[in-house]
Amino acid sequence: MVQLRPRASRVPPSAMVDEGQPASEEEEEAEHGLLLGQPSSGAAAEPLEEDDEEGDDEFDDEAPEELTFASAQAEAREEERRVRESVRRDKTLLKEKRKRREELFIEQKKRKLLPDNILEKLTAAGQTNIKKSSGKLKEANLQKENEDCDKGSDSKKAKVQKVQSVGQNKSYLALRLKDQDLRDSRQQAAKAFIQNSLYGPGTNRTTVNKFLSLENKRLPVKKAAAQFLNNAWGTQKKQNAKRYKRDLFPS
Amino acid sequence: MRLCSVFCHSSFPEYFSSGMGEFKVHRVRFFNYVPSGIRCVAYNNQSNRLAVSRTDGTVEIYNLSANYFQEKFFPGHESRATEALCWAKGQRLFSGGLNGEIIEYDLQALNIKYAMDAFGGPIWSMAVSPCGSQLLVGCEDGSVKLFQITPDKIQFERNFDRQKSRILSLSWHPSGTHIAAGSIDYISVFDVKSGSAVHKMLVDRQYMGVSKRKCIIWGVAFLSDGTVISVDSAGKVQFWDSATGTLVKNHLIANADVQSIAVSDQEDSFVVGTAEGTVFHFQLVSVTSNSSEKQWVRTKPFQHHTHDVRAVAHSPTALISGGTDTHLVIRPLMEKVEVKNYDAALRKITFPHRRLISCSKKRHLLLFQFAHHLELWRLGSTVATGKNGDTLPLSKDADHLLHLKTKGPENIICSCISPCGSWIAYSTTSRFFLYRLNYEHDNISLQRVSKMPAFLRSALQILFSEDSTKLFVASNQGSLHIIRLLEGSFKHLHTFQPQSGTVESMCLLAVSPDGNWLAASGTSAGVHVYNIKHLKLHCTVPAYNFPVTALAIAPSTNNLVIAHSDQQVFEYSIPDKQYTEWSRTIQKQGFHYLWLQRDTPITHISFHPKRPMHILLHDAYMFCIIDKSLPLPNDKTLLYNPLPPTNESDVIRRRTAHAFKISKIYKPLLFMDLLDERTLVAVERPLDDIIAQLPPPIKKKKFGT
Repeated sequence: MVQLRPRASRVPPSAMVDEGQPASEEEEEAEHGLLLGQPSSGAAAEPLEEDDEEGDDEFDDEAPEELTFASAQAEAREEERRVRESVRRDKTLLKEKRKRREELFIEQKKRKLLPDNILEKLTAAGQTNIKKSSGKLKEANLQKENEDCDKGSDSKKAKVQKVQSVGQNKSYLALRLKDQDLRDSRQQAAKAFIQNSLYGPGTNRTTVNKFLSLENKRLPVKKAAAQFLNNAWGTQKKQNAKRYKRDLFPS
Repeated sequence: MRLCSVFCHSSFPEYFSSGMGEFKVHRVRFFNYVPSGIRCVAYNNQSNRLAVSRTDGTVEIYNLSANYFQEKFFPGHESRATEALCWAKGQRLFSGGLNGEIIEYDLQALNIKYAMDAFGGPIWSMAVSPCGSQLLVGCEDGSVKLFQITPDKIQFERNFDRQKSRILSLSWHPSGTHIAAGSIDYISVFDVKSGSAVHKMLVDRQYMGVSKRKCIIWGVAFLSDGTVISVDSAGKVQFWDSATGTLVKNHLIANADVQSIAVSDQEDSFVVGTAEGTVFHFQLVSVTSNSSEKQWVRTKPFQHHTHDVRAVAHSPTALISGGTDTHLVIRPLMEKVEVKNYDAALRKITFPHRRLISCSKKRHLLLFQFAHHLELWRLGSTVATGKNGDTLPLSKDADHLLHLKTKGPENIICSCISPCGSWIAYSTTSRFFLYRLNYEHDNISLQRVSKMPAFLRSALQILFSEDSTKLFVASNQGSLHIIRLLEGSFKHLHTFQPQSGTVESMCLLAVSPDGNWLAASGTSAGVHVYNIKHLKLHCTVPAYNFPVTALAIAPSTNNLVIAHSDQQVFEYSIPDKQYTEWSRTIQKQGFHYLWLQRDTPITHISFHPKRPMHILLHDAYMFCIIDKSLPLPNDKTLLYNPLPPTNESDVIRRRTAHAFKISKIYKPLLFMDLLDERTLVAVERPLDDIIAQLPPPIKKKKFGT
C-alpha cells in the first residue's frame, strides 16, 4: 500500500509524454530519447509489480479492486506501449517513404543531367582552359561563348548547362550561368559597398567644381568655373516645358 | 561608327619659332583622356620595381632604378577590378579582384599566366608570407584562405576560421606565425598553425565625430614586436597589443578615412594615406635624446594629392603613394638619401610612358586611344598668317570623324593609323582588329577587314610602313609579323621568330621611311634591326643598361635614333652597323646635366623631311629639336633658351647657339609631330581638365573662402 503511492506518482510523467503528440521530427527525436529512457525506469518498477502480484495471490478475496487496479494498470501500460509502438512504426514507415521519394528525385535529376563521361570531360576541359595562357584563340572563342551564353540566359533552357562541343578541340568553355549570375551579383554588391563607404552619405564629399573654385576664390584674377554650366538646374521646369509643348503641339 | 562634327576645344594654329625656322603649330586640347585612378601599389625590394594597379584593372610595372620608367603594363579588363596586389619570391606578381579571381602575371611574356577562382566571393586583400611560400587571401564572405605558392602555380591549402564580414586587410607577423585581419568594426588575430582566431579587437566606430557609420579597417600592419597598427574609416591610426588584444595608442589624424598603410622593412617608420589626400609619415623615435625607450611619432605630413590616397608603399629610401587623382608620387626621404642629387627630388608620374596618339600626316588626322574606344579627329585649318606667338583664327574647325567602340570588356593595348589615313588597327588582349577607311568628300565609311589570321591575336605594338602598304605587328610571344595590305584585304608575308631561349616581347617598333629596315626593341635586351627586303635579322644594337623609351629611323641616312630612360640618346647607323660619329662625340662629352635631370622619358622621335641634321623629340614637359651641325652644350652653357635670339647681335647668338633647341610652351605634352615642313601638331592635356572629371574629393575648409 505504501509502495503504491510512489508508483502512482510515477505514472503521470510517462502519460504526459504520451499525450503530447510530436509535430515535428525534432520533437520526435526528443520523444525517442524519452522512450529509450523508459525501459530503465520500467525495469526498476517491475520487481515491485511482481511483489504486488504475489501479495495479490495470497489474499484473493480480500482486495479484488486492488488486484484489478494493478492488472488494469499493467494492461494500460501494455496498451500504451502498443500505441506508442504503432506510432513509432508509422513514423518509421513515413520516413522510409520520404527517403524513397528523395532517392527517386535524385535519380530523376541524374537522369536529366548529362552522362557522366561528358561531365568528366567538362571538368577536365575547364581545368585545362584555366591553365592555358590568356592570349590565345581559345580565349577569343571563349569570349564569344560567354556572349552567346549571356544572350541565351533569357531563354528557359539556360538553366541547363549549355554544351556545344566538348573534348579534343576544346574551343569552348562551358559555364554554368547560375554561378556567373551569383558572381556578378556579388561583384555588384562589393562595388556598391566600396562606392557607399567612399562616396555615400556621411562621407563629407564636395563637388569637383567647388573644389576647383577654392583656388580660384583666392586668386587675384578670378577665372570662370571649371564646369561653367550646370545641366542639373531646372530639370523639372525643362521637363514640364517639354510635356507642355508635346501636349500643345502633338506631332 | 559615328559621324560627328561637334568639337569641345578647338585646335589653335599658332606660330612658333624655335630658332630652327618657324612652324605653324596645331595646339590640340581636345584629347579628352583621363587616366584611371590608382588602386594598389606594391613595391618589390629585390628588383627595385613597383607594381601599380589602376581602377580599370590595368597593372603597370615601374623600374625605379631605371629613372622610374614604366617598362611593362598589363591591359585592364572591365570585370577585373583589382583590389589587392603583391609580389612573391621577388619575381612573381599576384593580384586579386572583385571578380573573385587570383591572377598571376607573366612578367616576361606580358600576359596573364593563369586566373584562379578563390571561391570566396570578391577578394579584398592579399598578403604573401614573409618567407614567400604562402599566399593569404581575404574574401567578401569573411573567409581567409591560405594558398601554397608552388613553382608554377598556387594551390589551395586551407581556410581560417570564418569571420562575420568581409576581410578588407591582411598582414603577416614577420615570423609567419600569426596574421592580423581587418574587417568591419573589428580586427582579428589568427594563429596560422591552428587557423583559429586568437583575439578579436573591437574598433570604436566614432572617435571624436558623431558618425554612426560602421568603422571599416582599411589597412593593418603586424610588427615583429607583436604590435598591430590599424587604419580605419573613422580617421584613426591605432596601435594594438596582439598578445593581450588591447588598444595601446590612438592617433586621430584625419576627418576622413585613412585608407592605406605601409611599413618599412626595418620597422622604424611607416606611412599612411588619407582620403583628404594627405600622406603622413610616422617614425619610431626615442622619447628623450639618450634613452632607449622609443615611441611612434607622427613626423611629417605631405600633401601631394588632391584626392583619396588609396595605396601607399614604403621603399627603403622613399614614400610612394597613389590614389584617385591618378598621380603616382614618389617622395624620397631626405634622411635616407645618401647623395643629395637629383634622385632625391620628388617624382610625380601622371601620364603613361607610351604613346596613345598616332597621326596620319597626309590627311591631317589624329587617332586618340582610350581604354575602350578610339577617336579619329581631323585637324582644323587656317588661311591666316601671322608672326611668332600669334594665335591664328580657324577657318575650318577640327572635326570628330569617328568614334570606334571596342567589343568586349578588354582594354585596348595599342592602336595605329596608317600615314595615308586609310587603315586603322588596334588590339586587345585577345583580338586584333583592322579597319579600312574610305573617304568620299566629307563622308567617311568604315569597313572591318574580317578573317584575321589566327596568329594575330594580341599585339603589343602596331606600326604601318610609310607608304601604308605593310603592317608590322609585335605580338606578345616575341614574334614580329609582317603583313602586306591590299585594297580591303591582306597577305601575310613573314614572321620573325624571337631568338631561341628568349621569351621577351617587343614593345617598340620603328620602320625606315624607305621601308627597308625595321627596328624592334623589348624591355631589356638590345634593339634588333631587321632587313625587310631580305627578311632576315640585320644586326643587333648592343644592349644598354636602361630600357628604350623611343625609337625612330631617319629618312635618307637610315640612322636609328634610340632614346633610353636615363635620358641618353644614341644614333646608330644601320648600314654601317655602328654608332655614328655624332653619337660618339656626344657620349664622349656627355649630355648637359639639366638634360639628364628631366624626369619624363622621351616618348616620340621624328625627323624633318628637308633637314637631315635635325632630330625632333619630346617628353611630357618639353619639345626639342637637336641640330647635329651645331656645337654641343657643356654644363656651363644655358640649356633652355626661352627666347629666340631675335634682338641680339649675330655674334652673341652664334656663341650661345648650341645643338639643343628646347621649347616648354606646350605641357603636359602627350604627342608632338611634324605634319609637313612648316606645320607641327602638339597634343596637350591640361591637368585641370583631368581633375574636373575625377570623382568628388573630400570637403575641406579653407580659410578665407
